[in-house]
Amino acid sequence: MKKFLRIFGISYCFTFFLFQTIFAGTVVDKFKIEGIISIASTKALQSELLKKMDIKIIDLNLKKTDSGWPVLRIEYDPDIISKNKIETVIGEIEDPAGHKYKVHKGPLIANANLIDEENQAMTILGDMTMDLKQVNNPTVDFDSSIKRGKDMFIKNCAKCHGLNGNGYGVVAHGFTTWPRQLWAWYKADSAADSYLYWIIENGKSDMPPWGLVLSENERWDLINYIKTIKKPEEN
Amino acid sequence: MAEKIKPPRIRVSRRIKKNKVFKVKVKFDHPSFTGLAMADDTTEPVFNRAKPVTFIRNMLVYYGDELVSRLSLSSGIADDPLFTFKLKATKEAPVKVVFIDNFGKRWEASKEIKFKG
Repeated sequence: MKKFLRIFGISYCFTFFLFQTIFAGTVVDKFKIEGIISIASTKALQSELLKKMDIKIIDLNLKKTDSGWPVLRIEYDPDIISKNKIETVIGEIEDPAGHKYKVHKGPLIANANLIDEENQAMTILGDMTMDLKQVNNPTVDFDSSIKRGKDMFIKNCAKCHGLNGNGYGVVAHGFTTWPRQLWAWYKADSAADSYLYWIIENGKSDMPPWGLVLSENERWDLINYIKTIKKPEEN
Repeated sequence: MAEKIKPPRIRVSRRIKKNKVFKVKVKFDHPSFTGLAMADDTTEPVFNRAKPVTFIRNMLVYYGDELVSRLSLSSGIADDPLFTFKLKATKEAPVKVVFIDNFGKRWEASKEIKFKG
């Protein structure tokens, strides 16, 4: 028993010190990366970074990041390497096509507020022309309509408006205007129907006219579902 | 966006008669980029952000003091676009074109309209 305890104690201490030596003081940081334009540039960044620095790359997440920018997670020892140094090295690396990478530090939405002149122009000439017709929601069975609307939303709308309707869909980053946050119509009454119907039918800004694709009933299913989308913190 | 963007250039018809329609051409060397790329096609390919989005957001056309047109543009337009439009020569006054990009930066160019013949 004594022998067993001794061996166990020694191996425990050895493992503990080994663990301390390897992982002592390491931190994991996230870096938003600009300049990842191809599969080759994804690989080049990681291999070059490992060549130049004594770090461990945990992963490079291209998809489903909060900001849409690829996120590189790096484990490093802050006593040896600083975060600024890592950012500098990333900025020095070139991909096979000669493009440089950069750590993104810009704003979340790259569309500055309208300047006074633009606001004035919209006041004079109008934002857009809308010919709203009075429409009545023909839905009888709301539960099944909302269910159909949800499926349709995931299939057609979520890429731009986001799965939870936050207006932060995957492909929305390059749009002129940020897609609308759909919880604006949560529990909206029938007064909003004409507007929603018109927007879905004719589109607005970067939104295409879904009237060409969706039938009248499908549009109503969508409207019924949109009215159930809550703000995430209220969920 | 590191490179300096030059102001737009305007050309108008040489002979402009009163109350006749004349053509205006505006060239603006400005990049246009969605900022998106597809760097992963292993499973379900999706776009990721690769560069900051850059595009001309609004183009405003003034004839004299009057705002005659506003074009709401997107990242879908070409780099260095050329715009051509027609105006009715109702007065001798400058035609001014203003461009504003998504960073809120503003450029303008103007050309004096004078009647000939």
